[in-house]
Amino acid sequence: MGNKRPTVIGVDNSPSMKKLLERSMENLDIDLTMFASAEEAWPYLQSNRPNLIVLSIILPGKNGLSLLRDLRQLPVHQETQAVIVSSKDYVQDRLVAKDLGALEFIPKPVSMQTITDVVVKYTQANLKNDNN
Amino acid sequence: MSKAQLRFWGVRGSYAAPFSTHLGVGGNTSCVEITAGDHLLICDAGTGIIPLGNKLMQQDKIREMLVILTHYHWDHVCGLPFFVPAFMPDWKIKFFGPGDNSALIEEHVAAQMQAPYFPVGTETWLAEINYLETQSNGFQYGPMKISFSNVHHPGITYGYKIELNGKTIVYASDNECKFIEKSIKHRTDEFNEEELALFEDMIHEEHQSESKLFKDADILIHDAQYTPDDYDKKHGWGHSCYVDAIDTAIGANVKELYLFHHDPNHDDASIEAIQKHSNEIIKEKGSSLICHIAKEGMTIDL
Repeated sequence: MGNKRPTVIGVDNSPSMKKLLERSMENLDIDLTMFASAEEAWPYLQSNRPNLIVLSIILPGKNGLSLLRDLRQLPVHQETQAVIVSSKDYVQDRLVAKDLGALEFIPKPVSMQTITDVVVKYTQANLKNDNN
Repeated sequence: MSKAQLRFWGVRGSYAAPFSTHLGVGGNTSCVEITAGDHLLICDAGTGIIPLGNKLMQQDKIREMLVILTHYHWDHVCGLPFFVPAFMPDWKIKFFGPGDNSALIEEHVAAQMQAPYFPVGTETWLAEINYLETQSNGFQYGPMKISFSNVHHPGITYGYKIELNGKTIVYASDNECKFIEKSIKHRTDEFNEEELALFEDMIHEEHQSESKLFKDADILIHDAQYTPDDYDKKHGWGHSCYVDAIDTAIGANVKELYLFHHDPNHDDASIEAIQKHSNEIIKEKGSSLICHIAKEGMTIDL
């Protein structure tokens, strides 16, 4: 593995979900940055390619699936890894997410272990005290 | 201040229900007309827009309108192929709805009018048609200030807030309120104490988020498709139980709630029972909320 720490971006306007994501990843050797809306995340994502985006759908302003669609238009994000973690759990949204290349669709409420497992799976993040 | 009125042309959800047992409430699917002076706003284009179009053809004062769509499920757009003003050259119709840009809104509106599902496409519409670009902060239409939020329903779906004559009208035809709260209660055993504490906060946030759109509305037109028994079987279908709609309206300090998007399986007697139970709930809670059943042909002066 390289020395660079994986970067994970969360886009969710729920303060409790922000806490849950932070707690889920606090023992992982990663950089987590949270944004509360698609509009807030957009300037960062225009010039950065994180290892994983954890994205909600219902957001103030632009919804998460539209943000993912916009990202896929950018050459740098055509294959950026994204997972949806949403209070919406409808087949129609799952199909759209799949078409946009989302790797997983996880309905809320979600356990911290589920988030940890997904982040490790897609970023190969190490534990903070793991020197491998 | 413009002379303004709201009229329900279609109050059903899912599919039209033109059955003799249902006609007291009405059988057409979602369509609400709001007029303010010469400005005509149409909320959704279910089968209710067909008789509305026929009425519009009988007058010559109004030739322009804005149609705002909550989403593109059939019960909200299936009246458009039979909406006569769209086929007339002297009319101007603007459309707005979910979509990342105006081309996508056009694509969604046109999709149902294609072979083999319909003999003619939207290219046969002779009216001047415009699809509005997405506006993040809402927009003004004559005396009406229109804003919208994402609500809880399959696909991207909007709830609209219309401010007019100092009144706030919220149109949320399809919205499964309290979804997170119910999901958490169904799955409590799967989580540890710390997670459950966070989820309590999440439930509070969900209530706050719903309140933001509905807060202090003078009129809330809200999805009330299910009874509690229906909802036990249909949690996650994207519609609300009327009990939750009432609770949400009370929490948001709504003045008058119109239960809307009635299930086509509910006949007039069933809906009368819903009205009776709704009033009991409101009385038990000591709330001043006024709850109505939205019925076809019902008008409200604004």
